[in-house]
Amino acid sequence: MEKARISSIQLFLLLTGFLFGNTLILAPAQGAKNDAWLAILLGGAGGALLMGVYAAIALLNPSKTLAEILKEKLGKVGGSFVTILDIWYFIHLASLVLRNFGEFIVTMTFLETPMAVVIGLFAVILVYLVNSGIEVMGRLSELLVPVIFLVVFIISLSLITVRDFTAFFPVLENGMKPVLNGAFALITFPFGESVVFLMVFPHLNKKERLKKVVPASAALVTFIILLVFFRDIFVLGSDLMVRSTFIPHLTSLLLPGFNVEPLIDITLMIGGGVKCSVCIYAAARTLCQIAGIGDYRKLTGAISTFCVVLSIWVYANVLEMFNFSENLWPYYSLPFQIVIPLLLLLLSFRKKSSQSNERAKSQKGKDAAKAY
Amino acid sequence: MIMVLAVFAILIFYDVRKFIRTKEPVKVFAIYACFMATSLIVSLLLAAGRKPPGPTQWIEAILNIFGVAS
Repeated sequence: MEKARISSIQLFLLLTGFLFGNTLILAPAQGAKNDAWLAILLGGAGGALLMGVYAAIALLNPSKTLAEILKEKLGKVGGSFVTILDIWYFIHLASLVLRNFGEFIVTMTFLETPMAVVIGLFAVILVYLVNSGIEVMGRLSELLVPVIFLVVFIISLSLITVRDFTAFFPVLENGMKPVLNGAFALITFPFGESVVFLMVFPHLNKKERLKKVVPASAALVTFIILLVFFRDIFVLGSDLMVRSTFIPHLTSLLLPGFNVEPLIDITLMIGGGVKCSVCIYAAARTLCQIAGIGDYRKLTGAISTFCVVLSIWVYANVLEMFNFSENLWPYYSLPFQIVIPLLLLLLSFRKKSSQSNERAKSQKGKDAAKAY
Repeated sequence: MIMVLAVFAILIFYDVRKFIRTKEPVKVFAIYACFMATSLIVSLLLAAGRKPPGPTQWIEAILNIFGVAS
């Protein structure tokens, strides 16, 4: 295994940047309209639980990556098959993030630039970052992810004078169903996507810190999503918010006297960059582990090229993108985010309990021999 | 079309030169070729305006079979 180590604060920021990623572009809980804050709270709690499952898998299998755990628990053939599915999932996720980013930039900022150019140039930087290793990715997130919080707070505070604090009333106007749907969407996007981190957790220098890092990151991201939701609904109102495509961008345009549009682009670039680089890193490392190739850097170029092409190929237009992420993504990602990790957790627990039983038996035997 | 071919030629030339220099095993070449060939074929089809059915359509079809997507 690669000997790179990252600190708990680096992992925390890497995870937070990953979760923030493209969440604000797609606003997964938006379907719950003015009750989205309830969906965010429920989804945040569910997401934290799901991330707890991933952390438990990593703690029960210390220093093992997802590919190694799958091979150990499901056997060579079954493990390899599921690993290949996971590689596809990581590549697909990276390409969807690239497309979200490209779609946003082409629609809002660089209207005349072809999307392939925007995504391609972004991918070149990402390949350089991924090839630099997980330590550099950790240090870079330490440097850049705090900028996201700073920008969110600056924009939220700047808009304090143009608000309607009653915009999220009435509560539960359409019942609980949209809230539960929104919460489910939020669990699968972005929290469930952090299954990718099963390839990163083994690099943490102090494994026991994982128990604190994961829930703290989930809580912070839930808080930021909640803050951004309240900011947007107070400024835009429920109706306009539901009808707009890229909500934070529209909100930033309402700031009197300043143009803070580039700040929104920067936050999305940082979040999207972190998310995409982690996905490419995980895909390349998993593929190298399954194929028995020593250095994952040999394949990052090919995988990134495929991600760029896939990102152009995957949707015909922005509406298809929103439709997929809203209606299909939660169900499509269920096996990768919930079924396989839960199975791995069960198998890990079973192995641990059988190991402790064996240990107790051998200890009993030793004690009996001593007494004799 | 020519642009796509040129970009892929540069990328492949840059990577393969490195692989030959470091005497990489055949499996590295095979996996690399698999990814690059797929990317090149899809890119050429997209450049020609003949978009093949993408993963989104496949996923939608699979979810339709299970009755999940409407």
